[in-house]
Amino acid sequence: MADKEMVRFAIDGQEVEAEKGTMLLPVALEYGFEIPHLCYHEAVSPYGACRLCLVEVTKRGRTRLTTSCNYPVDEGIDVTTDSEDIQRARRMILELLLARAPHSERIKKLAYEAGIKETRFSLMDVGDCILCGLCERVCREVVGADAISFISRGDKRDVGPPFADPIACIACGACVYICPTDCIKMEERGDERTIVKWNRTLKMQECKSCGKPFAPLFQLNWIIDKVNLPKDFYDLCPVCRAGR
Amino acid sequence: MDKFLDRLNIYASRLVLQKEYLMPGHRACQGCAEVLALRLVAKVLGRNNIIASATGCMEIVSSPLPLTSWNVPWIHVAFENAAAVASGIEAGLKALMRKGGLPQQKINVMAMAGDGGTSDIGLQALSGAMERGHDFVYVCFDNEAYMNTGIQRSSSTPFGASTTTSPAGKVVPGQTTWKKNMPEIAAAHNIPYVATACPSYPFDLMEKVKKAADIEGPAYIHILSVCPTGWRLPPQLAIHAGRLAVETGIFPLYEVERGKYRLSVDLPELRPVEEYLKIQGRFRHLTPEMIDKIQQRVLEEYEKLKKKVEMTNEG
Repeated sequence: MADKEMVRFAIDGQEVEAEKGTMLLPVALEYGFEIPHLCYHEAVSPYGACRLCLVEVTKRGRTRLTTSCNYPVDEGIDVTTDSEDIQRARRMILELLLARAPHSERIKKLAYEAGIKETRFSLMDVGDCILCGLCERVCREVVGADAISFISRGDKRDVGPPFADPIACIACGACVYICPTDCIKMEERGDERTIVKWNRTLKMQECKSCGKPFAPLFQLNWIIDKVNLPKDFYDLCPVCRAGR
Repeated sequence: MDKFLDRLNIYASRLVLQKEYLMPGHRACQGCAEVLALRLVAKVLGRNNIIASATGCMEIVSSPLPLTSWNVPWIHVAFENAAAVASGIEAGLKALMRKGGLPQQKINVMAMAGDGGTSDIGLQALSGAMERGHDFVYVCFDNEAYMNTGIQRSSSTPFGASTTTSPAGKVVPGQTTWKKNMPEIAAAHNIPYVATACPSYPFDLMEKVKKAADIEGPAYIHILSVCPTGWRLPPQLAIHAGRLAVETGIFPLYEVERGKYRLSVDLPELRPVEEYLKIQGRFRHLTPEMIDKIQQRVLEEYEKLKKKVEMTNEG
C-alpha cells in the first residue's frame, strides 16, 4: 500500500496532522474541537446543506468563511472554529433552521446554546424537515434501495419518493435512524410497519417458530434477491434463529 | 422512535460511528458480551471521556501490564471506590474549569464496575456519589458472579445458579437467594436517570448511554452482560441468551427518567423462562418445581414493574 500523504495545519492555533484530502470537519472533531453540525455523517458523502459547520479558513493570506464538512484539508491552512463572524453567521442560520423545524429538540438545543430564545422569521409548516439530505444519501449510498430523492426546486423543494409512489422503499428504517430532526417516523401496528413520511406500509414476516412479526416481507425478499440467499433464510426471527 | 430501535439492525448498524475507544486485542473470552457492551458505551461517550474502573473482568482484559486497550484516559482503582474516584474526577474538573486551568467544556466522567464491584463491594461509595449528586455516569456490567476470579457467587447471582461458591449438590441446589435488584436501589436515590440495558439490544443501549451522558447529575446504567465462560454457555449463543433474558422477562429493559418509569422493550407476552434456563449449564440441575418457582417470581416482578410504569405515568 502506498504511503498516505500527510499534511500539517493549524486549528485554533493547535498544530494538527491529517491525511491529505480528508474533510476538515472530521479532523477537527477528532482533535476535540466542537463544531455544531447536522447534515454530516461519516458513513455518507459530505453535502454541505445545513451550513452550521462554518469555520474560517486562511489560505495564502486570504480568509474566508466556509463549511468544514466538505472542505478538503491542505498543507499550511489556518483554521478558526469560533470567531465573531462565525458566531454571527451561525446564529442567523440557527434562526432560519428554527423557523423551519420549530419542534426539533436538537435544533432547539443548538439554538439555546447559541443564545437564541426565539426566531425572528415566520414559522414554516414543513413537518420539521430541514432538507439536509441525510435520508436521501443514506438510502442511496448505504442501503442501496434508492427509494427517495429531492423533488421540486426553490421553496417547493422537498424529499420524497418519486411521483409520491414509494414503490422501492423497503421500510428498513435507516432514514428514521439518521434524521437529525426526527421528522421521519416509523410505526408498527400488528403485522404492519409504516414509514409515515414516505407513506409506505409493508406487511411483516411472521416468525415460523414463535409467530411474532419481525421485519417487512418485501425487505427480506429484496435482501434474498440481492445477495442470493436461500428462499427460507428469513423464516425465523433473529431470536429463534440463533437458538437453532 | 427508540421503541423500534432494535428492529432497525440491518442497515442502521452501518450508520453507527466507526471510531473506537476500546481497541481490539484485549484478553476477553470468546463470546464475551461484556466487552461488547463496554465497547459500545465507550463509543457513545466519545473522546472527551475519563473512566474510573474498579477491579473486574474488564480491568483485567483491557490492561495487562505493558499494554492497554484504552484510547481515552482510564484509571484503575480499588474494588470498592470506582464511584468515589469518579466523583473526585468530576469535582476536580469542575474546580479546574472554574479557576481557568481548563477551558469550559463538556467532559464525560464514567465509572465502571462489575456486579460485585457495584452491588457488593462498591455499593457504599456508589450510594454516596449518587447522593452527593455528582455529574457522572455509572455503568455496572452485570455478569452475575465474580467471573474474573473464577465464578464465585455475588449478590447479583440469580436464584438457582451454580457457581464455585454456591455449587449445585444433593442438598443445596445452587444459589439459594434471589438476585439483588440493583437498578431499583439506584432509582431509590431519586437520581435523574436509571436504566437497564443489554448488548443484545445495541441501539437501545447506546441511546440510553447517550441520554445518561446528556443528563445533568448522576446516572446509573445496569447492563446485563452474558458471560459464556461463567454461565456455561456456548460462546455463539451469548447474544441469543441476552435477547432471551429480556424476552422471558428475567431482565426487563426499562428506564427511570426523573422518577418516570418506561419500558424500552414492551412485550405483549413473555416467553417461558425455561427457554432461557435450559441453554445454560449453570442451571442444568434445576428441577421442574424450581423452574416453576423462578417463573412465578419473574411474572410477579414483571407485573410489579408494569404497575410502576402505569403509576408514574399517570396524569
